[in-house]
Amino acid sequence: MSDFFEKLKKEEPYTEYTLDMFSKSAGKEASEVGQFNNWRNMVSDADKYTFEVPHLGAQKPEISIKRENGDRYDLISFSSYNYLGYSYHPDVIQAGKDALDKYGLGATGSPLLNGTFEVHKELEQSIVDFYGLDGYGATLFSSGYGVSLGVISAFIHKNDHVICDRSSHACIFDGAILSQGKISLFKHNDAEHLEKVIQRIDHKNSRILVCCEGVYSTDGDYGNLKDIVTVAKKYGAAVLVDEAHSLLLAGKNGKGVCEHYDVIEDVDMIVATFSKSFGGVGGCLYAKKELTNYMNYYARSRMFSCALDPAVTGGLVKAVELAGSEDGDIKRKRIIENSDYLRSLLQDKVDIGTSTTWIVPIIYGDERLTLPVSDYLQKEGIDISLMTFPAVSKNRSRIRAFVTSEHTKEQLDKGAEVILKAAKKYNFLKDS
Amino acid sequence: MKHTPSEDLLVWEFDFALTTFFEVETSQIEKYIPKQLSPMEVSPGLGLINVTGFNFPAGGLGHLPEFQELICSIIVSPDLSRGVPKFAMHVISLASTSQEHLDHSAEYYKLPIHGLLTDAKIDRDKVAIDYSDNDGQILQMSNCSPKLDYRNDERYFQAYTMDGDDLTIANCYIESPLFEHQVVGNAGSLNVHPFLKNIDFDVEPTPYLQMISPPGQKGRQFYYRPEKF
Repeated sequence: MSDFFEKLKKEEPYTEYTLDMFSKSAGKEASEVGQFNNWRNMVSDADKYTFEVPHLGAQKPEISIKRENGDRYDLISFSSYNYLGYSYHPDVIQAGKDALDKYGLGATGSPLLNGTFEVHKELEQSIVDFYGLDGYGATLFSSGYGVSLGVISAFIHKNDHVICDRSSHACIFDGAILSQGKISLFKHNDAEHLEKVIQRIDHKNSRILVCCEGVYSTDGDYGNLKDIVTVAKKYGAAVLVDEAHSLLLAGKNGKGVCEHYDVIEDVDMIVATFSKSFGGVGGCLYAKKELTNYMNYYARSRMFSCALDPAVTGGLVKAVELAGSEDGDIKRKRIIENSDYLRSLLQDKVDIGTSTTWIVPIIYGDERLTLPVSDYLQKEGIDISLMTFPAVSKNRSRIRAFVTSEHTKEQLDKGAEVILKAAKKYNFLKDS
Repeated sequence: MKHTPSEDLLVWEFDFALTTFFEVETSQIEKYIPKQLSPMEVSPGLGLINVTGFNFPAGGLGHLPEFQELICSIIVSPDLSRGVPKFAMHVISLASTSQEHLDHSAEYYKLPIHGLLTDAKIDRDKVAIDYSDNDGQILQMSNCSPKLDYRNDERYFQAYTMDGDDLTIANCYIESPLFEHQVVGNAGSLNVHPFLKNIDFDVEPTPYLQMISPPGQKGRQFYYRPEKF
């Protein structure tokens, strides 16, 4: 294998760099910008630039893309979070068109002032109805990222504490930074370690917010919500759960991992994004009505952003309706079957980590392989998501297959076949 | 890269190197970072301290007999106008079993000298070190990966130091097989000690990354004379 990497270094020198190397530079000149562009040009020159590749149609299981050099590829997609296929569901599209006709293209105003339309109120109510609890509300944000950013920074102030699972998404960390609270981390899903972290701070006199996720997209595993909530409540800490990859999917009725562990009413804030299983864009906070009322004013990422665009909002109302109906039940059953099937094709042959959900990582290890593997997979017929160092540990870089309810058995077979072919070529089969 | 010997380049030959990057709250290290630099963080509020133990055989540095070195630095923003290093470090402490080495390092590299090590044990089989000085044990540090997979390469680093009020920077290249890993495990213990600026690490400090050279196999360090930043 060392000969392989020697050759790779000589022929494709961009593989020697990782993105953290360009994240900052000392000095008056912004040298990181020039160096990053040098690297990007090296990747482009080698025709290995697989980031931000334009898709030529909707996020269906079969897509077409156009690479930088103009080449078109028809692929099976495992890279979209369109878990239930709602982004192109005909009823969702029609609802979006109806809202577009009625309200126009943009909301053109802050939701608190002049950007709220009736369709926004319909979406808030449909989310509240989906959960079915009295005294709760939903407040909408124009991006999923903006939900945690706004909510955490409005709830936590200087000298308060935010304690995050180490594997938390950037929106949680960025919300914590913006809050100016003190940030601590606990080991991924480790409630015992969380307790040690809480015990180290003045928990009797401090406001504490514990942040975690329903499903973690790095490993495709469930958050250990039952134990984490128990520990947090023991010390009077509030809990925020990000259900970005789990709302409409996990739990008997699709109410997320909080439903699965029966902790919905023990969790203080559930945040969700509409850009995954809902098939749109934006996000929401679901919490007690008093809290959502407060966030409408004090979550700055909401207050100072334009409201969700009406067409998407109209489509989202329909998506929530479908997810709460028999359609949702059928698709939830199917996505689990599809995920189990793909895992069954891969787990004995490649390292899929601790995945138990619709996110199936395939660990190829060495970060130098990232772009060559991605390029190879596209040229062999599948599009798949990358995750490399420093987002994951050294030698644990991975591709991630996002399985949807809409994949067919044939598409899953083809996906596994191509992945295993890549594993053989790049030496990440289990027995190699 | 070709390195041409000159008075601005010293070549160091070592036969043991164990480096661990430990996570540490940024608030504990900020005061040691020059104002021109900023800490590299692995998560918000979580920076990195780098501790390296070296063994230099006789002749590894000029005429000096065999000696051991312990160096501690904070991982900081690199100067990318000079190239793209694997990382940049701001050195905060240097200790050694050789006074002559310390004197030379202060004069040539402007490194911040902590003092002599009174005890420096290296266990090549376990890839472990145990270093002490007159204030007691500084640290124990060991490889925490079950397997070692060395990669033969040259790696580029940058090293900052203070020369009076001036910040300096030096290019440094390690030419040696190295194994880099991020296996989570017990990488040793760091005591609250003046060498480590009395930083209070966890009882079990969290290693972020380890870099290990094959014990007994010679590697070279091309360490250029620092220039004013």
